[in-house]
Amino acid sequence: MAVFDTPEEAFSALRPVCVQLTKTQTVENVEHLQARLQAVSDSALQELQQYVLFPLRFTLKTPGPKRERLIQSVVECLTFVLSSTCVKEQELLQELFSELSACLYSPNSQKPAAVSEELKLAVIRGLSTLMHSAYGDIILAFYEPNILPRLGFAVSLLLDLAEQEKSKQIKIAALQCLQVLLFQCDCQDHPRSLDELEQKQLGDLFASFLPGISMALTRVITGDFKQGHSIVVSSLKLFYKTVSFIMANEQLERISEVQPKAAVEHRVAELMVHREARWVKNTSDKLTILIKKIIECVSVHPHWKVRLALIELVEALLLKCSQSLVRSAGPLLKALVGLVNDESPEVQAQCNKALRRFADQKVVVGNRAFADILSENLHSLATSLPRLMNSQDDQGKFSTLSLLLGYLKLLGPRVNFVLHSVAHLERLSKALIQVLELDVTDIKVVEERRWNSGHLSASPETVAPQPWSPMQRRYFRFFTDERLFLLLQQLCQLLGFYGDLYLLVDQFMALYRESVVYRKQAAMILNELVVGAAGLEVENLHENHIKTSPEELREIVTSILEEYTSQENWYLITCIESEEVGEELTMKQAGLQAITSGAHTCQVTSFPAFSQPSPTICSMNSNIWQICIQLEGIGRFAYALGKDFRLLLMSALYPVLEKAGDQTLLISQAATSAMMDICHACGYDSLQHLINQNSDYLVNGISLNLRHLSLHPHTPKVLEVMLWNSDASLLPLVADVVQDVLATLDQFYDKRATSFVGVLHALLAALAQWFSDTGDLGQPQEQSAGEEGSHLSRRPAAPEKGLGNSTTAEDIEQFLLNYLKEKDVADGNVSDFDNEEEEQSEPPKADEHDPGPDVAPPLPVQIQIATHVMERCVHLLSDANLKIRLKVLDVLDLCVVVLQSHKNQLLPLAHRAWPSLVHRLTNDDPLVVLRAFKVLRTLGGKCGDFLRSRFCKDILPKLAGSLVTQAPVSARAGPVYSHTLACKLQLAVLQGLGPLCERLDLGEGDLNKVADACLIYLSARQPVKLQEAARRVFLHLMKVDPDSTWFLLNELYCPEQLTPPHPSLHPVHLRGITGQGNPYAANVLRLLQELQ
Amino acid sequence: MTAPLPTMAASPLPPPDPQFVLRGTQSAVHALHFFGGARGQERPLLLSGSLSGLVHIWSLQTRRAVATLDGHGGQCVTWLQTLPQGHQLLSQGRDLKLRLWDLAEGRNAVVDSVPLESLGFCRSSVLARGQERWMLAMPGRGSEEVQILEMPSKTSVCTLKPEADAKPGMPMCLELWQADSSPRPLLLAGYEDGSVALWDVSERKVCSRVACHTEPVMGFDFDSQKARGVSGSAEKALAVWSLDEQQALQVCRTHELTNPGIADVKIRPDRKILATAGWDHRVRVFHWRTMKPLAVLSFHSATVHCVAFATDGLLAAGSGDQRISIWSLYPVRSDASTPLLGHAEGGEVGAHALA
Repeated sequence: MAVFDTPEEAFSALRPVCVQLTKTQTVENVEHLQARLQAVSDSALQELQQYVLFPLRFTLKTPGPKRERLIQSVVECLTFVLSSTCVKEQELLQELFSELSACLYSPNSQKPAAVSEELKLAVIRGLSTLMHSAYGDIILAFYEPNILPRLGFAVSLLLDLAEQEKSKQIKIAALQCLQVLLFQCDCQDHPRSLDELEQKQLGDLFASFLPGISMALTRVITGDFKQGHSIVVSSLKLFYKTVSFIMANEQLERISEVQPKAAVEHRVAELMVHREARWVKNTSDKLTILIKKIIECVSVHPHWKVRLALIELVEALLLKCSQSLVRSAGPLLKALVGLVNDESPEVQAQCNKALRRFADQKVVVGNRAFADILSENLHSLATSLPRLMNSQDDQGKFSTLSLLLGYLKLLGPRVNFVLHSVAHLERLSKALIQVLELDVTDIKVVEERRWNSGHLSASPETVAPQPWSPMQRRYFRFFTDERLFLLLQQLCQLLGFYGDLYLLVDQFMALYRESVVYRKQAAMILNELVVGAAGLEVENLHENHIKTSPEELREIVTSILEEYTSQENWYLITCIESEEVGEELTMKQAGLQAITSGAHTCQVTSFPAFSQPSPTICSMNSNIWQICIQLEGIGRFAYALGKDFRLLLMSALYPVLEKAGDQTLLISQAATSAMMDICHACGYDSLQHLINQNSDYLVNGISLNLRHLSLHPHTPKVLEVMLWNSDASLLPLVADVVQDVLATLDQFYDKRATSFVGVLHALLAALAQWFSDTGDLGQPQEQSAGEEGSHLSRRPAAPEKGLGNSTTAEDIEQFLLNYLKEKDVADGNVSDFDNEEEEQSEPPKADEHDPGPDVAPPLPVQIQIATHVMERCVHLLSDANLKIRLKVLDVLDLCVVVLQSHKNQLLPLAHRAWPSLVHRLTNDDPLVVLRAFKVLRTLGGKCGDFLRSRFCKDILPKLAGSLVTQAPVSARAGPVYSHTLACKLQLAVLQGLGPLCERLDLGEGDLNKVADACLIYLSARQPVKLQEAARRVFLHLMKVDPDSTWFLLNELYCPEQLTPPHPSLHPVHLRGITGQGNPYAANVLRLLQELQ
Repeated sequence: MTAPLPTMAASPLPPPDPQFVLRGTQSAVHALHFFGGARGQERPLLLSGSLSGLVHIWSLQTRRAVATLDGHGGQCVTWLQTLPQGHQLLSQGRDLKLRLWDLAEGRNAVVDSVPLESLGFCRSSVLARGQERWMLAMPGRGSEEVQILEMPSKTSVCTLKPEADAKPGMPMCLELWQADSSPRPLLLAGYEDGSVALWDVSERKVCSRVACHTEPVMGFDFDSQKARGVSGSAEKALAVWSLDEQQALQVCRTHELTNPGIADVKIRPDRKILATAGWDHRVRVFHWRTMKPLAVLSFHSATVHCVAFATDGLLAAGSGDQRISIWSLYPVRSDASTPLLGHAEGGEVGAHALA
């Protein structure tokens, strides 16, 4: 690029243009020169610097009016030269500085000359380049007192430009130039750092400009937001660099009281400032005002880079001028603290970094003054907090609380100074309580019910890895912003972390006890305090802070837990009592309607439908929330204590489980999630694992509480939940409790039967589930095999298939053989071979397991339990309460399932239960009949022979009779009929009859009874469902006796004329009518197809 | 029972509950003994011996068994006692063995065993005299004999045999003790005929003998400071007897009970109250000085076989229903000078307990 490398060549090239420029000063000539300069190498140009500069300076100095364009090009050319060369002589530097500054000076006014923006920019850049091109030693010499007037002139000029100009470019250039002039340039060209003496000299010099600079910059900074963020950022930078340089602690420490005589002329000496103590105080007072103004304006600046710059400002000033600017420390810290929760993550990060740095360097704790200021600020904030929480909007609250959070972070353990003042603690806690108040008018909370029984569905895997994520949305009275809640959470955690935990817990426990109004909030705060105290979610900024020890924490948690789960805080009314007792759908719905209809009056006055002692919706809602919060608290405590929480399980798990079985959806959800938290904290894989491992604690609670059932009416619920969620390993532990339950049931069967029947149901369901495998593998197969063996004769080998396929000769032979054998049996030839055979085969079977032939083996625990329960069922079957009867039938059903393999126990009990069951089947509410029929089917399945004659004698006639009498009704009825109870009853009977007939292996006469009763339902006039059910009955009948069924169906409707295979045989005429109008045609055809 | 307390009608307090219940022995509990917890902060351990021959060690902090010792071949464990000088446990079983266990630092190994020669239910007794040597009294070979051994050397010191005409029957319960004033070891023994006898071990003679019951003595406890003892038997009464300076036993009073049969009697270490294990499934608590009935603790659903007190005042009862109930009654006061069971406290528990 460089064409002229040597000075000689360059000189010869430049000479003509320089001469030309000296002669005629035109823009063109300047441009010629500049063009030539491009081709000269830097080293050559350095040699010729003075020579080249001469014509340019000459042009500037020539008196008389000049065209701006010319000056601009001259300045630009000058700048070019300077940018490629160094200024090595101080004279030259000073002169150039003056000459350049003069370009903008108008002799008439104090203001900068009204010149074009381009020129201004060129000059500013020129000045900046000049200062950069000055040689290191030269530049230091430049800043001597004598330069003060000229420097001051330039500084004020630039400040004016920065403040007044419209052009953003000029403003920024001016600010940057100022930075260079004030030796605060942050470009790479100043490798040399100043020693202390030099710093002090410069500081002395610049101190004169401080008022002007700071005020002008403040005006710029606090100007219109619209001026653009870069200007504000540059101004802020310049401001703090200048201030922190001039007011630096290190410099001021060295200033002696007496001003040294400087060897300068008087005029200049007047301008000099001596930075002694009084000056420092005055200046810092004034600066404080400016800083406050700046902070006020900048901390809410919409652009994040500006706020970021503010953090830098705070950091620089607090670190460098902590003593000189001690009065500004308060506002500065407040600014910093207020930005802790800034919406911009960059600002937040920077802020946290700054806070951490302060903490690391003990700026706050180590420095008495700072800590005092912070405490003072916190004191005043605590004082005004309740008022602020009352009056501010969400945004305002957010910034106020952010501020509070920041103070806590900065103060760390010193926060106790504030907490130990009773008045302040009081105000702080009241404010927190106030802002956390929940909105309890939501009706849904009370309405929502848990429908599925005991199974706690959640497993640890399905829950998010952060178990504390609030899953239940809460609505607060005084704010809606979710962020505020998170902020408050953080606040409480920090308080718990740094504050005196005993003091805080005492305070909030006192509030908790003081009034229902505070209780929920206090509990929320307590929960977070404990989590904070464990130090799990808090970043510790203060290394020497000692956390609460695990033992202490456990003690505290234990006492809070005790309070939470005490009688008066745990057993709150969350729904209307009738609902509590009633568990059936009907009751619940009625209850719900009652609530909904009254809901609108909730806010106005107390609930009118209920008199004073009855709970209002609001109070129930509030109670529900309180329980939820307390449950959540238990989860949080587990989280805080980790494995240590295992020791508390003996007291905590029972109440939680109790709530897991609660009817209210919200509560049971909260309890489940609390249990999940416990699982996570204590290292259990699943809820089941948790319950299994701690069943001893639970059983303890259950058995003790069963003793005072009136005080602990929910005890059976716990057992129920436990049973639903556990496995067979639980059985040995609960065995004695089950005995207790049964004993208590015997004692209270009139009052508390409902809840106990619930438990029995859960118990038997659990037993049926746990021991279903052994049951299936053992006895029942035996049983069915036995049935198969003894009655094989009556059945075709493969009923379903065999019916349709062509019959082989072997089949016929087999059939005949069977027939003969059967005939023998029927004639009584093999009289011993019948039913007794099975019962006889029973004892030997049992004996195989016996150690000794004489000693009956002890029955398995589940069988013992089921036997005991079934005994109770026999009595409870005739309970006056419909719901209980229904439930008892379910239990009975399960008892039969559990006992199926132990006929010796089952049959006597079935015998005892029979009369009562018959009563249910024949003379009871239709609902009960349905349920009883279900039991009958199970019973028929499990002990068929035992039941056959009883069934035929006691029940079949009634059932058949009712089917026959109901048939005309259902045939006439419209489509709505299928929803009626009567129809359901018919359906249930039809559905049940088929399998029963097959299971019980009814005799021919009884089968005919069944067939006759069901035949009518094959009519197309019957509801479709009933037809289907009836068809199914016949399918079962076909399995038992295909021939007579075929005959019966053909009697009803005969689709084809039967032609005898040989003319010698009589033609057979069946009575079935083959007309189009036969209502049975469709169903009979379908059935006959099955038979073919 | 005696006349109801005046506060009884007024107070609707529910009957007291166990503080908690230990489950998992899987068989009837026949022996209980608290271990440790006197000095250290740690809560004491509870040892239980069961019909199935197992000794369970329970942590009262976690309320769970921390270890199970199996050393009696499935035969009932009738007596448990730890030695004061170390973590050593003596267990007596119906397999005719006395086992010495080392429990230090979580070990549970049998270090020694003494053969028994009597198949009775008589529980042994220990008198620890020094760090090294201790004395053991146990039922002897003959049906009426008590054998005294010097331990751990297992050398027989003597056999105490009643005079030929006495015929007190088998010894039912034993207690070795030593008065503060004299170095002579004494043995109290309850016999099958309902009498309690005081033996001077070194002279091998009965100092005194008194008939307390008409049925066999099932259990007794002796307060050596007050020189008073209380015994229970198969009959419907408790007997309180005392020992005068001449070492003569005499019955002070008897206390009628509602139901017959006391399986065990224990006085709390602070000598304020005593508890009895009843065949009627109940534990009864009495004021030791006045023998005023304070509480009837009903929880168990089978015979209560044994009771035990911890130094901190906890009461444990073991029963045939395979459960051990732990009760916290009248907390022990550190200030011994204040009269325990003052008006307020005594009235309170008494009221609901006697209901």
